Amino acid sequence: MIRCEDIKVTFNAGMATEKRALRGVDLEIPQGEFVTVIGSNGAGKSTLLNTIAGDIRSTGGNLFFDDTNVTAVPAAGRTRDVARVFQDPLAGTCGNMTIEENMALAYGRGKRGGLIPALNDDLRDLFREQLKRLNLGLEDRLGAEMGLLSGGQRQSVSLLMSALQPSKILLLDEHTAALDPKTAALVMDITDQIVEEKQLTVMMVTHSMRQALDHGTRTIMMHEGRKVFDLQGEERKQYDVKDLLNLFAKAKGDGEELDDDKLLLGA
Amino acid sequence: MSLFSFLGTLEIGFIFGLVAVGVYLTFRVLDFPDLTVDGSFTMGAALAAALIVGGINPYVATLCAALGGAAAGMLTAWLNLRFNILHLLASILTMTALYTINLRIMGKPNLALIMEDTVLTPFEALGIPAMYLKLIFVAIVVILVGLMIAYFLNTQYGMGMRATGANPRMAQANGIVVKEKIYAGLALSNGLVALAGALFAQTNGFADSTMGIGTIVVGLAAVIVGESLFNSRSMLVIIFSCIIGSLLYRLAVSVALNADFLGFTASDLNLITAVLVGLALIVPHIRREQKARKAAALGGEA
Repeated sequence: MIRCEDIKVTFNAGMATEKRALRGVDLEIPQGEFVTVIGSNGAGKSTLLNTIAGDIRSTGGNLFFDDTNVTAVPAAGRTRDVARVFQDPLAGTCGNMTIEENMALAYGRGKRGGLIPALNDDLRDLFREQLKRLNLGLEDRLGAEMGLLSGGQRQSVSLLMSALQPSKILLLDEHTAALDPKTAALVMDITDQIVEEKQLTVMMVTHSMRQALDHGTRTIMMHEGRKVFDLQGEERKQYDVKDLLNLFAKAKGDGEELDDDKLLLGA
Repeated sequence: MSLFSFLGTLEIGFIFGLVAVGVYLTFRVLDFPDLTVDGSFTMGAALAAALIVGGINPYVATLCAALGGAAAGMLTAWLNLRFNILHLLASILTMTALYTINLRIMGKPNLALIMEDTVLTPFEALGIPAMYLKLIFVAIVVILVGLMIAYFLNTQYGMGMRATGANPRMAQANGIVVKEKIYAGLALSNGLVALAGALFAQTNGFADSTMGIGTIVVGLAAVIVGESLFNSRSMLVIIFSCIIGSLLYRLAVSVALNADFLGFTASDLNLITAVLVGLALIVPHIRREQKARKAAALGGEA
């Protein structure tokens, strides 16, 4: 479970470039819920995700995982509970290390690295078995350098890596945005499988309204650093992309036309 | 080249193999260009020499030398991580400070070790001529250390260190405490370089306050020579290519200086080194550019 209590984040406080990225977010995500987060550029979606991951320190409020207050815990210390996949396919893996080495790193997530070899044959079998799910033939290329893979392949492996070690929370930051439609569909498919299998609490930031409604169990919209609406249960099932767009226009203020091309295109 | 100078070249080549491994750890593994080694090499020699002259067991003295180098590396890491001083500049600061510290350690600009016990003393009873004994001893030490470092880089901890250099954000997302790995890496690297300095002082019979000048370039040259000869993802191959690179570099320099028709003298060494390292850096770059141009000509199907 994730609980945000009045989370605030201000960048460059006190300077001319001051930006109040999060203006007090209250959010409770129960165990096993899959939340999709939408909003225009600069709404604070990614900031919220990065604050939960610990990359960004909140300037106010409290953050809980289950009943533990993790507000002051640095990013590396939260990784026992949190796994994540980045938007940039290059960000989630080390290009100059091999596939199996990358997977071994992810396998050690949240554990203290010891002085025993990071790889062995049992692990290689596990990695091969996991890679087979992708149907990309990567199971025969464990020793290949990550940098030789395409963006889609790297992102697929990143996703598998995030699930190698049990975690409670999976954070997905527009993890299909940089992929071609076919690969994006494959990656989303595996995402759903993994989430189902491991009963994870998931937060997925997306630019696509379609994706936001088709996946997960709950949708929230961010605007100007605040959560502006929260759709769940039966109500959510009846919503269509068009309804979301209307809600979005309302959130932005009366009479204002929707001008975010990316949102429309993503729909 | 006489047999004596050939063996001496190999011996120095092996010793600088340790420097090359240390430089590989910072420049390649951690992506942290560290010039501290110019100071920590001398520091290793100075500490070992001063302690041995002071009557300390040579093995204890050598261990202290390595620890001293590790401390110097951690100082550089601290300046960089705590105060955000650019890594190159932080290492130059440490290196400059070490020049004075090394003079203080020795009490004078150089110390002779000719009549003192060294790490080699226990093996002199074997009756092997000194010039072979020194080479065999140094080779065994360097190969053992090389094996240990290669093993280390494949452990969970060592792989975390590699990830720290390759992609700090990914490392952090996988629970690796990036700063801790940088501290450990710089300590290990400079510890190895100081060990090389301590061995150099004991096999050559002296420590001198200026002996470390240019260590970084020689180490880098060895790494680059090794990399251009072997292309492998195996840590064992990479570490030993650093050591072999160091041997080849020493031999090449020695041949260049010995070939009378080239007309080089010992004072030309720095220019030769700079040209060699420069070429080794320029050639791969040009090759990459050509490859990119070819790929672009094929319509970007890469």
